[in-house]
Amino acid sequence: MKPLTSAASAVLAACALTALAACGSSGSSSQPSAQPASPAPGGGPATSSATPAVAQFPVTISAPGGPVTIKAQPARIVSLSPTATEDLFAVGAGKQVVAVDLSSNYPSGVPKTSLNGVTPNVEAVAGYHPSLVVTDQDANGLVAGMKKLGVPVLVEPAAASIDEAYAQITQIGQATGHLASAQDVVAGMRANIAADLAKAGTAHSDLSYFWEVSANPYYSATSKTFAGSIAAMFGLKNIADAAAKAADGGYPQLTPEYILSAKPQIIFLTDNQATDGGQTPAVVAARPGWPAIPAVKNHEVIAMNDDVAARWGPRLPLLVAEIAAAVESAAGK
Amino acid sequence: MITVRDLTVTLDQTRVLHGVSCQTPPGGWLCLIGPNGAGKSTVLRAAAGLLAYGGTIRLGEADLGSLRGRARARAIAYVPQAPVLPPDMLVADYVLLGRTPHLGYLSRPGRRDRLVAEAALDKLDVSQFTGRRLEQMSGGERQRVVLARALAAEPSVLLLDEPTSMLDIGHQQQVLELVDGLRRSAGLTVVSTLHDLTIAGQYADELVLLNAGRVAAAGSAVAVLTPGLIAEVYGARVEVRKGHDGRPVVAPVRNVQ
Amino acid sequence: MKPRRPGSRAALIGAAAAFVVAAALVSVFVGAANLNPVAVATALAGKIPFLGVHSGLSALDSAVLFQIRLPRIVLGALVGALLAVTGAGYQGVFRNPLVDSGMLGASAGAGLGATIAIVYLGGLGPAVVPVAAFTGSLAGVAIASLAGAIGAARGSLGSGPATLLLAGIAVGMFLTAAQTVVLQRSTQVLQQVYSWLLGSLSGASWQQVIEILPYAGVSVAVILLHGRHLDVLSVGDDEARALGINPRAVRAIAIGSCALAAAAAVAVSGLIGFVGIIVPHVARRLAGPSYLTVLPLSLLGGAGFLVLADTLARTVLAPAELPIGVVTALIGAPAFIWVLRGTRAVDT
Repeated sequence: MKPLTSAASAVLAACALTALAACGSSGSSSQPSAQPASPAPGGGPATSSATPAVAQFPVTISAPGGPVTIKAQPARIVSLSPTATEDLFAVGAGKQVVAVDLSSNYPSGVPKTSLNGVTPNVEAVAGYHPSLVVTDQDANGLVAGMKKLGVPVLVEPAAASIDEAYAQITQIGQATGHLASAQDVVAGMRANIAADLAKAGTAHSDLSYFWEVSANPYYSATSKTFAGSIAAMFGLKNIADAAAKAADGGYPQLTPEYILSAKPQIIFLTDNQATDGGQTPAVVAARPGWPAIPAVKNHEVIAMNDDVAARWGPRLPLLVAEIAAAVESAAGK
Repeated sequence: MITVRDLTVTLDQTRVLHGVSCQTPPGGWLCLIGPNGAGKSTVLRAAAGLLAYGGTIRLGEADLGSLRGRARARAIAYVPQAPVLPPDMLVADYVLLGRTPHLGYLSRPGRRDRLVAEAALDKLDVSQFTGRRLEQMSGGERQRVVLARALAAEPSVLLLDEPTSMLDIGHQQQVLELVDGLRRSAGLTVVSTLHDLTIAGQYADELVLLNAGRVAAAGSAVAVLTPGLIAEVYGARVEVRKGHDGRPVVAPVRNVQ
Repeated sequence: MKPRRPGSRAALIGAAAAFVVAAALVSVFVGAANLNPVAVATALAGKIPFLGVHSGLSALDSAVLFQIRLPRIVLGALVGALLAVTGAGYQGVFRNPLVDSGMLGASAGAGLGATIAIVYLGGLGPAVVPVAAFTGSLAGVAIASLAGAIGAARGSLGSGPATLLLAGIAVGMFLTAAQTVVLQRSTQVLQQVYSWLLGSLSGASWQQVIEILPYAGVSVAVILLHGRHLDVLSVGDDEARALGINPRAVRAIAIGSCALAAAAAVAVSGLIGFVGIIVPHVARRLAGPSYLTVLPLSLLGGAGFLVLADTLARTVLAPAELPIGVVTALIGAPAFIWVLRGTRAVDT
């Protein structure tokens, strides 16, 4: 799941609509226990070469929700999570994927259906005759329902750390018979991220930033969240950290007064697309009082790729690169 | 002078009044009597403008049907059998509501309106209660406050639907005496329904006996309150004696085999 | 209830106005930005022409005060006034002290409108949400009124306001269900939609104040001018008509202007509950039942109450913020029980 929905769960808890808040992502209880990828032989982007797979099955994945056994290489995969969809295609299992949920939109040409990952319908999923279902949460009795049909369900909740994200990709590779190429993907990601960190530098404690999850009211993400941990790799100071309360799951609501007086030097917008709020840098600059913020004054309001910022899959290096570019620009001022 | 001609009323596709005619001169007291469901209250409601009706109701020369709401309400005040009394409302505010027909759409009660309301409270001897809430009033006091509200409109006709039904005999008499005094002093025309035939005969100039939406008999108390008519319309066995003032006293008679 | 002589109308209204000013003063000096109170006072004095006081605030602090804190206080006062006067108006129309400003499909319609805007109209920019909420709120009341009229014409409950109230509940449930259907189609926006549903003044701007002012002005003026008519309605439709008042016309005008007021409030603040019940009830306790007093008292009381509630919303967890709908519910729900305790049977 995405920080959007986690912030929603804090909101939802407040109004006791907890039934909808099935997507926990603070993640401390859901450490994937699969082996992290073994040291990669080399850098560079992974090639999704077809991996001989027969020998790997049956395989038991130590997924966060408990072990999942997959008897043979799954020929028909249904993905109910956009992150899982990206993972599947990145490790080279794309040809096995027969259906993805309505929120999955990357890479282009994924077999998008009306399946709903947040409120899945077991019969609708079963209608695609899957041999494996990958999702990020067990909602609407999905796991139990698919178990009756003998279909394994791999639940990979939103990663809480970058290592969890790597572990998920590896697990998905293992589950689909593409372990080696998954390991290549992870190695490539590590290399890209390391290069960006080296270029932009990791000692920017003099730079503060505001990570905007949504506006009116303003929700942010602290350093404890996935996105915050990425920004922390650059040494950036998160203005939301001082506002965090235990109950907000790392996604506190901030008053505009506080945001202004914290004078962030960079603002990352993850709500700038038409589908998720339309808060573009121009909209931010037009907010009352905001032109006084250094980030707005210096044009360091960054319109992130909202999907990349909220899905912690193979495009993670892109997120790091976006932050790196902003850091380099802001540090130069 | 109120004149009702060929009044017909249809409620829920059922005709409940079939051509009722009656009249009373200015300062007169017309009393509608009759068994339950005969249509007494319906006549009053039609005259108050609460029902669509056929036939005509005239006030002097004016046709009530052609008067708009406020003009009609200035001429005719209506007191239902069970008035809605908002429990928290102050007596003074409640009586002031009687001034509504005299107020322009967006105007508020002024000094004159307050004076008229105070005068009405005085006339009904309830001015000491102005600061009380309606729920704090006893039954007899309430009925007087309701009458004060009706009077505050300065009407020429007062329509009273069973004004004494909730009162004991002492308070019945007190209220009816007040009404009688008002019509004598202010020339108010009263049209009322009354259940108690003896009391109706004592206060009304003109009795109209309704039966199943038709006038069964009309005229003076002596002419209408006869054992025969009462037996025919009410199916009751009564004897009618002559009171000390010459008006009839209707007494039920028990069936002794 | 103990017998209590209601205070004089002018004194009560004066006290309520003082309450609004006091609430605004408290609110202007506190906030997450921790502005120096002396500097704030001088900055405010500096806005008074010809006084020649110079603001000691930095440009950023000045932006916090004049672009964020002040418009938020003014907008909060406006929204609170609208919600409370609407609640009082509806209570007069329906002769029921438990009716709130969001009844008659107003809140549900606004919720559906906002959700549709967030899910389908995101491309038009964030400004479309208030417009959609405003439209949805009015449409909700229109549909409920239509359903009520059909029910009254065909049904057995008669033409009384009770039919309309029940129709409003049914329409509200329907619209809420429709909103859930829309929401299911696009679960990425759950957070946005629920934030909106919980109510917030965090986006307050002078622009919003100016945008709702005409609707607020017209609707409040019409409602206030009908206080006397609502008093007449309290003796029931028959007696009101016998007094020369057309109860249906009064109800239609009052419902129309209340709907407009509620829509203006909901457009800029989302759903904020309980203000419309609690404030008029307190007004009634203080002033007696006459709407001539209850309406203006609710107007002022609602303004002061919401300014205080929003002050709590933005300071209790500072520098984080509580949704204001949560604050009014936390105060309002217990107060609502107190209302129930002091409420006699009603006869709608």
